[in-house]
Amino acid sequence: MILDLHSHSIVSDDGRAKVPNYCQWIRKKDLPLDGFVLTEHRKFDFDSDYSALATEFDLTILKASEVETEYGHVLVFGVTRALTEAFDFSDIGLPLAKVLEESERHGAVAVPCHPGRTRVGMCAHVESLGIPAGVSIVEVFNGGSRGTEDDAARALAETQGYRGIGGSDAHIVSHIGRCATAFPGAIGTEAELVEALQAGEFEAKSWKSKSSESSS
Amino acid sequence: MTIASFDQVEFGDELPSFTPDTGLENVRRFAKAAQMMAKRFTDHEGARKEGLPGAMVPGVMSQAILTAMIHRWAPEAALVKIDTIFRAPVMVDEAHEVNGVVTDLDEETKTAEIDLTITNGAGETRVLGTATVRLP
Repeated sequence: MILDLHSHSIVSDDGRAKVPNYCQWIRKKDLPLDGFVLTEHRKFDFDSDYSALATEFDLTILKASEVETEYGHVLVFGVTRALTEAFDFSDIGLPLAKVLEESERHGAVAVPCHPGRTRVGMCAHVESLGIPAGVSIVEVFNGGSRGTEDDAARALAETQGYRGIGGSDAHIVSHIGRCATAFPGAIGTEAELVEALQAGEFEAKSWKSKSSESSS
Repeated sequence: MTIASFDQVEFGDELPSFTPDTGLENVRRFAKAAQMMAKRFTDHEGARKEGLPGAMVPGVMSQAILTAMIHRWAPEAALVKIDTIFRAPVMVDEAHEVNGVVTDLDEETKTAEIDLTITNGAGETRVLGTATVRLP
């Protein structure tokens, strides 16, 4: 099963895509995606219900969050109401250690995203802050990466023994599915996604260049 | 092919892409017309002194380029809204490609939503956004 693990809708302040249009686009362009995860900035979208849309388009549509720490941005999968009360998702200076610790305590998984990016990626902060404890997965393919950002992400993952995921980081409809993550089994809920990430059996994929790339 | 009416547009349609003239002389002409003759737009060395890698295309010029693409595709379209996010500078004297694709249609209001991108030679998205256009 292939899921785009990083996307934004109009629920995010800089998102311009409506979720129905993501679904239409995936089917119209026959993208090799079975679904996507909405990782809205600095919040968890408790209000939206995409179950009817998921059924209509036969896609898995899950919800997660992208929060901001001193090491850059971090995706949090398996968000619960209790987790949103454990720390302030809107805080742009969250301690990564707290995000990792509380995520684990609440059965969620925290994944630093676009680590190769200037300012908002983990690599930029490792020299001054050191390698953080508790990270086991990072995003190695990001659809919005420029230059050698993904190379830096993969080098970090390789040297630290992290597993790698992929996500488009789409903010507009036509960018969905540029990168994604392949899992061996079916995933239909946020809990199943967390379980699959914890199992560590997945492979990051990128379709940004003409020839696709993979990285596990 | 140009679009004359809303009925001719389909979800997923691509607007004809093109490579805009983002050479220094052309950018200087735009900056002069817009009365924004800052060195970061008109002079590579001056831009470097401001900490940039070189002169960059003004944001409003990028928006104008995107808008011009829409009007070449649909000359009768009324631009209701254009909304751009500047992810990275569009560098002067570098080749860029401008693209648009229809990502939503509203039959009631006869409007189309268009994803817009400006990418450089490395395929990096420098500017992205959306436009809403009303068609006859």
